[in-house]
Amino acid sequence: MRWENFRFALFEKAPEALLEHSMIVVITITIAILISVPLGVFLSRPKYKKFGLVTLNILNLLQAVPGIAVIALALPILGLGMKPAIVALLFQSLLPIVRNTIAGLLGVSSDVKEAASGMGMSQRRILWEVELPLAIPIILSGIRTATVYVVSIGTLASLIGAGGLGNLIMGGLSLFRPEYLLVGAGLGALMAIFLDRMINYLEYRITPPGMRVE
Amino acid sequence: MIELEQITKQYPGQAMPAVDKLYLSIPKGEICVLVGPSGCGKSTILRMINRMIEPTSGVVKINGQDVTSTNPDQLRMGIGYVIQQIGLLPHRTIAENIAIVPRLYKWPKEKIKQRVDELIVMMGLDLEKTRGKYPSQLSGGQMQRVGVARAMAVDPPIMLMDEPFGAVDPIARTHLQDELLRLQKEIKKTIVFVTHDINEAIKMGDRIAIFNAGQLVQFGTPEEILTNPINEFVEDFIGRDRVVKKLNLYLAEDAMQPIKCLLREDELQNVAQKMKDAGAEVAFLVNETGKASGQISAGDVAEFGMDIEGLRKRARRRSNAFVQTTTPFPDALSLLLEYDADYLGVLKGEELCGVLSFQGIRKHVYRKEGE
Amino acid sequence: MTLTDFVNFLVKNSKTIMEYSENHFTLVLLAVGISLLIWVPVGLLLTKSDKWAARVLALANTIFCIPSLSMFAILVTIPMFGLGRKSALLALVLYAMMPLIRSVYDGVKNVDRNVIEAARGMGMSTKRILVEILVPLGMPIIFAGFRITVVMTTGIAAIATYIGERNLGRFIQEGLVRSNTPMMVTGALIISIIAIGLDTILGMIEKRIVPKGLRVSR
Repeated sequence: MRWENFRFALFEKAPEALLEHSMIVVITITIAILISVPLGVFLSRPKYKKFGLVTLNILNLLQAVPGIAVIALALPILGLGMKPAIVALLFQSLLPIVRNTIAGLLGVSSDVKEAASGMGMSQRRILWEVELPLAIPIILSGIRTATVYVVSIGTLASLIGAGGLGNLIMGGLSLFRPEYLLVGAGLGALMAIFLDRMINYLEYRITPPGMRVE
Repeated sequence: MIELEQITKQYPGQAMPAVDKLYLSIPKGEICVLVGPSGCGKSTILRMINRMIEPTSGVVKINGQDVTSTNPDQLRMGIGYVIQQIGLLPHRTIAENIAIVPRLYKWPKEKIKQRVDELIVMMGLDLEKTRGKYPSQLSGGQMQRVGVARAMAVDPPIMLMDEPFGAVDPIARTHLQDELLRLQKEIKKTIVFVTHDINEAIKMGDRIAIFNAGQLVQFGTPEEILTNPINEFVEDFIGRDRVVKKLNLYLAEDAMQPIKCLLREDELQNVAQKMKDAGAEVAFLVNETGKASGQISAGDVAEFGMDIEGLRKRARRRSNAFVQTTTPFPDALSLLLEYDADYLGVLKGEELCGVLSFQGIRKHVYRKEGE
Repeated sequence: MTLTDFVNFLVKNSKTIMEYSENHFTLVLLAVGISLLIWVPVGLLLTKSDKWAARVLALANTIFCIPSLSMFAILVTIPMFGLGRKSALLALVLYAMMPLIRSVYDGVKNVDRNVIEAARGMGMSTKRILVEILVPLGMPIIFAGFRITVVMTTGIAAIATYIGERNLGRFIQEGLVRSNTPMMVTGALIISIIAIGLDTILGMIEKRIVPKGLRVSR
């Protein structure tokens, strides 16, 4: 291993790759939240429960598809670049968030909901003031799963020209430069672990103090 | 017989020992109730008998033998154990649940089946309907019956029961208590019974041990404890109405007096003379079939004089003022108040065999109180 | 690319497909087998100590976060492992740590404490309690973890093609390099179908594995 190569990888190559990777993650997760949470709220309403089951089953199937296959299938349909990669990753990041949103909302005790409606709160108010606050820790936990997943599969997105840390790893593998490998892989791992810890901390902070399990 | 000798249990990180130098000797064939407020150490004591908890120091002996000389699993197989939460195995049928300990003893299949059926019937459950069901299909009361049946499966001489009826509704609880008492008359087990409910303790216990903060405060029969609470704690624990509670310990036959005056319904006009002759305060009427049908007191005679119809009406109004020999005092008192009477006839089955008076009850309780 | 392309590819390359599938499955089988042998006992052991459970689960969780490509890449730089099956196996076993330990731990911890207390009070030995109570009652959760592990391992194994494994991932890799779309799509489809199939079959078994007493109610 040569320090020269290592430095080059870390200071010349990594910043851009890290930025691209972060963009992929942030954009994908933002869109995923914007789709999944409302979808989860919608599917948890008693009227639409039937759709809920069907939707969950479909998302479950999608989730079982290996990440590398998703990326490979995206190429002929969506083409090369960052956008297709984001769309591909989006498909698989929906499930954990939708599932946790539904679970979180349905997990709110019906006693609490009944008490709220007994005090004259409208259904909409109950959703905003009772159900969502109580469900947010669980929703966040879904977002955390999805984020870690996107960081992970995001490294494969370089295969279809999306850039990111995968570029360093793939380059390192094909040229057999362990320095590139270590920088790319290490940053990918650190990024995933960091985001996991960060959202986990957020989950803890956002959980109402009365509900924290110490 | 179970003996606890100088038992201490000190949990790490706690200032006070959970049980402190306890001596307790539990006689064979009796129900001994350990009672006290929560955290008094009663459950810890119970669980040290079958080594679910090991004491910090001291010896537990069963029939003179140190329990630590037996392997804990072997020891527990020979002691029935019932807990409040029952703990039936949810993935096993009722029959399989009851068969657990017999299976540990490797009984032959046929013997196990026979014993299981016997126990299901003994606990008052429908054999065919219950046997193949799973615990989740039973009510709380039914589940606890299965819990008791399971503990009795190999007919262990000792049963440990930790608040066994604490989680069932009041009606089911009364049933379960009554049935355990009825059963105990036949099976004569040594039962150690933990509860925090003093009423349950008085009802179930041949002997009661009252604990507070790891210490044995008083040990005695329910009567002794209700009569002579040893200190303020016990007094508070059993409550201000301790004498009323004591009434539960006595039955009509305990304070029953012989009948002095008995007459047929058609002899009513002679009632004043007859009572005077017999020196009786109360006379009972019998109808033509020989069945007790009413009562006339000295007060009634004074009130109505020769108004025979008035007397007859009064007598009929009290045609149900009778109790059985086995009726406990509180029920008898309730009847006395209900009929605004001073006396009740006491029946043994259909046959009139005595009279129970307000005064008799008072004297009986007072005599016991003064002992 | 049309269905005919797909079928043509399958027919033409049936021999290669068989070879890659075989490699793929031996790797998955080996990885899952080793994982079960290691992580199930570890999970059981952790139920004895909450302190250690928290530590080990945190570690497993951290490992699980590492992107699979990163994991493979890091392992190949270690001389002891290098390119090939050893690295692939180690990575897969490490990934399986989290779902297997977690599910065994949760499954056993989820069993009603009172049931265990009652069983102990009746004189059941620790081993018997494990075999007759903890495992059957924890099985639905444990099996769910097993299912996740199998499906996940099947998917990640494909990525091991980049460190020299000749398995179903290779169609994707070569398809990409040679711009051979039918090859790439076929590879992706085969893996997807296998993963979905495994997930579905194991899902059906998972439903049946719940002890009957837990399914019925009054």
